[in-house]
Amino acid sequence: MAIALAFWGGSIIFVIVVALILCNKIEASGVKRWGATGSLFSYEKKGA
Amino acid sequence: MDISYIVVFGLYVVFLAWTSWKSSKQVESLSDFTTGGHRMGLLLGIGTSVATWVSVASVMGVPGFLYRTGIAAIIGWVAGWFLATAIMPILAYKVRRPEMPARTFPEFIRMRYEPFQKVSYLQLIVAVLMFVGYFIFSHLQVVGFGIVFSTITGIPYEWAIFGFLVFLIMTCTGGFWTVAATDTFNSILILIGLAFGLGAVLAATGGIGNILDAVAVTTAPVNVGGPPMKAGIMLTPEGSFGWGALMAIFMANALGASVAPHWIARFMAPKNTKAAVLQMMWTVIALIPIFICLIIIGLGAKALMPSLPAGKTTDYIMPLIVQQYAPPFVGAMTLIAIMAAAVSTSNSMLLHCGTSIYYDIYRSLFPNREINEAKATNHLRISVFLLGIVAVLSAIKPPMLLAMGFTYVYGAFGAAFMWPVWFGLFWKRMNRAGAYAGISVGTVGFIAARVMNATNPFVVGAALSLVAVLIAVFTTSAPPKEAYEAYFEGEASESTKEVARRIQQESDEKAKEKVALAPGK
Repeated sequence: MAIALAFWGGSIIFVIVVALILCNKIEASGVKRWGATGSLFSYEKKGA
Repeated sequence: MDISYIVVFGLYVVFLAWTSWKSSKQVESLSDFTTGGHRMGLLLGIGTSVATWVSVASVMGVPGFLYRTGIAAIIGWVAGWFLATAIMPILAYKVRRPEMPARTFPEFIRMRYEPFQKVSYLQLIVAVLMFVGYFIFSHLQVVGFGIVFSTITGIPYEWAIFGFLVFLIMTCTGGFWTVAATDTFNSILILIGLAFGLGAVLAATGGIGNILDAVAVTTAPVNVGGPPMKAGIMLTPEGSFGWGALMAIFMANALGASVAPHWIARFMAPKNTKAAVLQMMWTVIALIPIFICLIIIGLGAKALMPSLPAGKTTDYIMPLIVQQYAPPFVGAMTLIAIMAAAVSTSNSMLLHCGTSIYYDIYRSLFPNREINEAKATNHLRISVFLLGIVAVLSAIKPPMLLAMGFTYVYGAFGAAFMWPVWFGLFWKRMNRAGAYAGISVGTVGFIAARVMNATNPFVVGAALSLVAVLIAVFTTSAPPKEAYEAYFEGEASESTKEVARRIQQESDEKAKEKVALAPGK
């Protein structure tokens, strides 16, 4: 049971880490068209 | 049939019709119909991704395999699909980068590998493979729909599957926007329905402890009169599969599903790259409670109903348990949730099927034919509906278990498309010859391995495809920069943008207008 849940839990942790790294890269690029807004989890400026 | 079932079912149909009608007003162009015009927000993106993941293969197939083999199904299917979704942000990050992204997966392959070809044979080959794969997917959804609809209404399965066409008319009128809106509605319904089902199973079994105690010692056969199970096998990680077969299922579901064309198309729809990345991250998080419900229901079913009646496949376990052990209203909510899963996935699959035939095959073969935007969208609607009819007819005698059918198609997609997609997005040197070699060798390799009953046909196909890609790439010249630049640079050159405009101009009047209005044109 533990092995099965470890496979599953590992995938969940992996996606969060990967998404954070990628959002960080987008912010670092500063390319607005890609969604760089100055905030890690925001993909468009409010009212834009 | 209990009155609760009629009331819940009636409300579902009304809500679905209303959502479809509202969202169908969004359709303006072919881009809208195929990918939502590349302007989808995060909430709708998460809704449609969740609903696409949660198909009959998950809500009926996964509890079915948990019932049949125990927790091995968590590794093979649940962990496999979660890993696929976990990998997806990396692909989405690249696919959604270009200023003018492709609108379909075959068009993406064309723009990356054959940007200067008048007729792209690679686009045609990919469209044909997609058509076959998505037709099988749609067929499986119709089977699942028929099982649930016949359980709810008491209509024989062979007639119940025709009810699917009513839902298809409602959900395919507006193309991608209708699919996304109804998907979001269906996602919420699936979560609520499964939570009701979970409550009913926990109440009937007395809790998780009792379920685990029961499955730890059960030897009851899957079907009444069948061979008994080995005691304790349901709680071993490899179950009755063995590690070799289980890893084959896990890898096909994880690596194969991550490059499945409908997911690549999903990455093109969000407003920008970050929205595409976040969409997949939140999708994984939203899927967690849904799969917790499915796992407990699947194992709980074994405790409640140790063996299925003779002649029933394990795909029937969910509707049978719900009908037998849940109060009528709870049962109705759960069964409607399963139906919502079938409808929301099949409409999306049929949309891909119709788009590959009409947009990628017909219009690629006849690039000079006069195009009318409204007429083209109507042709697409008709294609989707006709395919729906064929999918229903093919479902009269279902040939395989739902979850396993998905694994075969994901394995084939993975073997064919894994290297052309990954190398295409992350390796500038990947070229046209490599794509032809990878797709053809991967497809043939997978089919041959499957026919010869290899333990892991996905690995065989993908490995042969990799060798073919590397040989082809290193023995032929590098691709032109117009093929890869949009996926690697923040600002692509004018010649790259011109190629994207020309390809889309050939099949979209709106794009023609954009060219006319573009600065310097």
